[in-house]
Amino acid sequence: MKLFRLLLMAGMIASAAQAKVCVVTTLTDLADFTREVGDDLVEVRSLATGIEDTHGVPMKPSFVPVMNRADLIVLVGFDCEHAFLPALLEASKNPRIQKGNVGYVDCAKGITPLDVPKSTDHSEGDVHPYGNPHYTLDPVLAKTAVAEICDALVAFAPEHEAEFKRNRDAYLAKLDAKIAEWKTEAAPIKGAAFVSYHEHWPYFAKRFGLKYFGTVELKPGIDPTARHIEELVSSMKAEHVPIVVGEPQFPEKVPRLIAEQAGVTLVKLPIMPGGVPGTDTYIEMMDYIIKTMVAAVKK
Amino acid sequence: MKRYLRRVVLATALLTPCAARADGTNGALDALKQQMQQLQQKIQELETAKTSAPPTSVTVPAGAVTPEQLKEVDEKVDKVVEAQKKTLMSEFNPSIGLVGETVFSYRSRNSSETSSNRPGGFDIWQRSVELNVAASVDPFAKGYVVANASADAATGESTFGIEEAALQTTSLPWNLELKAGRFFGEFGKLEYIHDHELPMVNRPLAIDQYIGGESRTDGLQLNWLVPVEHYVSWTVGVGDSFGGDSPPSDPGGFRSIDELNYWSRLSTYFDLTPDWQAEMGVSGLFNPRTNDRGGIDAQTGPGGLPMTEHERRLGGLDFQVRYVPLRDNQFRSLTWGTELLYSDNRYLVDPDGTPGDGDEFSRSVGSFGMYSYLTWKLHRQWSTGFLFDYVQNAENEHDITYACSPYVTWALSHWNQLRLQYTYTDHNAVSGLKSDDAVYLQWAWIIGAHSHGWQQR
Ligand SMILES: [Zn+2]
Repeated sequence: MKLFRLLLMAGMIASAAQAKVCVVTTLTDLADFTREVGDDLVEVRSLATGIEDTHGVPMKPSFVPVMNRADLIVLVGFDCEHAFLPALLEASKNPRIQKGNVGYVDCAKGITPLDVPKSTDHSEGDVHPYGNPHYTLDPVLAKTAVAEICDALVAFAPEHEAEFKRNRDAYLAKLDAKIAEWKTEAAPIKGAAFVSYHEHWPYFAKRFGLKYFGTVELKPGIDPTARHIEELVSSMKAEHVPIVVGEPQFPEKVPRLIAEQAGVTLVKLPIMPGGVPGTDTYIEMMDYIIKTMVAAVKK
Repeated sequence: MKRYLRRVVLATALLTPCAARADGTNGALDALKQQMQQLQQKIQELETAKTSAPPTSVTVPAGAVTPEQLKEVDEKVDKVVEAQKKTLMSEFNPSIGLVGETVFSYRSRNSSETSSNRPGGFDIWQRSVELNVAASVDPFAKGYVVANASADAATGESTFGIEEAALQTTSLPWNLELKAGRFFGEFGKLEYIHDHELPMVNRPLAIDQYIGGESRTDGLQLNWLVPVEHYVSWTVGVGDSFGGDSPPSDPGGFRSIDELNYWSRLSTYFDLTPDWQAEMGVSGLFNPRTNDRGGIDAQTGPGGLPMTEHERRLGGLDFQVRYVPLRDNQFRSLTWGTELLYSDNRYLVDPDGTPGDGDEFSRSVGSFGMYSYLTWKLHRQWSTGFLFDYVQNAENEHDITYACSPYVTWALSHWNQLRLQYTYTDHNAVSGLKSDDAVYLQWAWIIGAHSHGWQQR
């Protein structure tokens, strides 16, 4: 009898575990948002660990069984994941998460993209064909992604609508408070100009009133030419640009060279949670970014 | 005010007929609808502001919209309409891409001395003009076509041929995927990669010898993702031929079921560390009865006797170890790929060359071939590598060829790539061929759509 009860309990635990919504996200910021909204009702796995380039997560076959069992795939959109996601989706043989189905959660749905290329050929580079996809670095737009994830969870598991919405609202309130805090913190550096390796920061710059001066890359995804670097350095000097951002995904050599030649500060900023130590959540990451930028400008 | 209303109407008109056609863009349309609702709200706000504000007043009433806000809304509408147009265009048209590939080469020996189908000396060969078209057929399948025009070695004439034209299911249950039509069958690792996507200039000799170029077939292939925690993929297929240069059996006659080609591949993968990957596969190809595949071969086995293949058997073992650092794999990586092939074909030997006069006998020829390559990516644009080839003739295992090919690749971008390769080829005495040196410069480019395929990873 005792054994039967044990078995029954084990069965209940197993079925409770199975009842969790199984979510795969491409990047770690989306995983963090999903955990916040889904709490213990979801099981979240991110393809990226945080240190990858958002456009270059390795296409590992070990992702395939995970995606095969997923109820939802949460992605950045605007073709940010073009180099790895379409092939992985096809290999996953999971009809639920294919594009067009409810399990395909494109967080860019409510976002108006910046820097949409004027031409559809590759003269504008490859990795931002529908405009810049790095909108989650603006915490206000990140809220749109959070809402999108919540809607997708509700659509998939309507029985938990109340919990999901409560968690969403709590997290959005937390974000709102942090946004106010970040804006105050960043107020003294308003108008400061900076350069980065890849075009990660237009939304961030717009939100916090910074001037996004240019990128080390010639075009998104295209390595710089010697002439481009030369021109960048001389214009940075002329315009007194104080910061060059080196994202850890890219070699430090060129940003360091630019920093030395232009006599400016080089800072390392994560582009998703986990990108540098101590940035495991989205809020921790944004804290880190704001603090680092403020410190660099004041230097 | 009219301008906004006109825009909303325009956007609606632009989107409505499409919306009826597509389920896939419902999400995008919902988003647009939301934005439109917001706009309508703004318009209402504006109207309220207009009616409530005294006409002579110059101060902006509280809660009304300032010119700056107006401008922002205006810009936003423009952007949304623009972005939606772009998305819709790409949603409803097939993705189309074109690949061009030119090979400039110098070979130190005449083609008769090397058995190459390209001339010795200086050669400029437009190897590919490849048109790729792909799109979803419906919610259950996608279709794709690869048409290629390649210049003929003798005439220089370009002839357009269909390399692939297949339908592939996208929503079969039980982790199954079915492919039908003309496609590159799944055998080994580099067999089903198009020329311009190979990590080296030329397809390894063992693949050319045993498969006959790329693994093209007109057939049916079923793939099963085995439902376990670990990645295991199993493929089985049937086709009337297998190999781009391998004609089907019994053309024009009566083809029985044992004259078809049957193949299978089982593959798996391991994460050795987060940065190191290992993948391996085992493949088999069986054609129980081939009748005159490629005709009676003048190339002979020991004793100089003419013979015809009547059974085709091929086994393969492939493995690949890769270093793909999570952080900066676009700037450095390492790939070591090896494939071992064993061919055990049966031939009908006809000593006097007159078929059906009773003196024919069967002979089995076991032959072995392999290639191994190492490619090191040392920069976003630069990689270098080395390929070793070894192959025994499928009809005479004593006829042996080997080759060594160092190569350097310069990828200016994803779509523009130059590769310089040197190849030293040597043959043993039995082959009757001579060793030669060759230098290749391959220039490949892509315009239009390109995809990062699962098999090319
Ligand atoms: Zn980007």
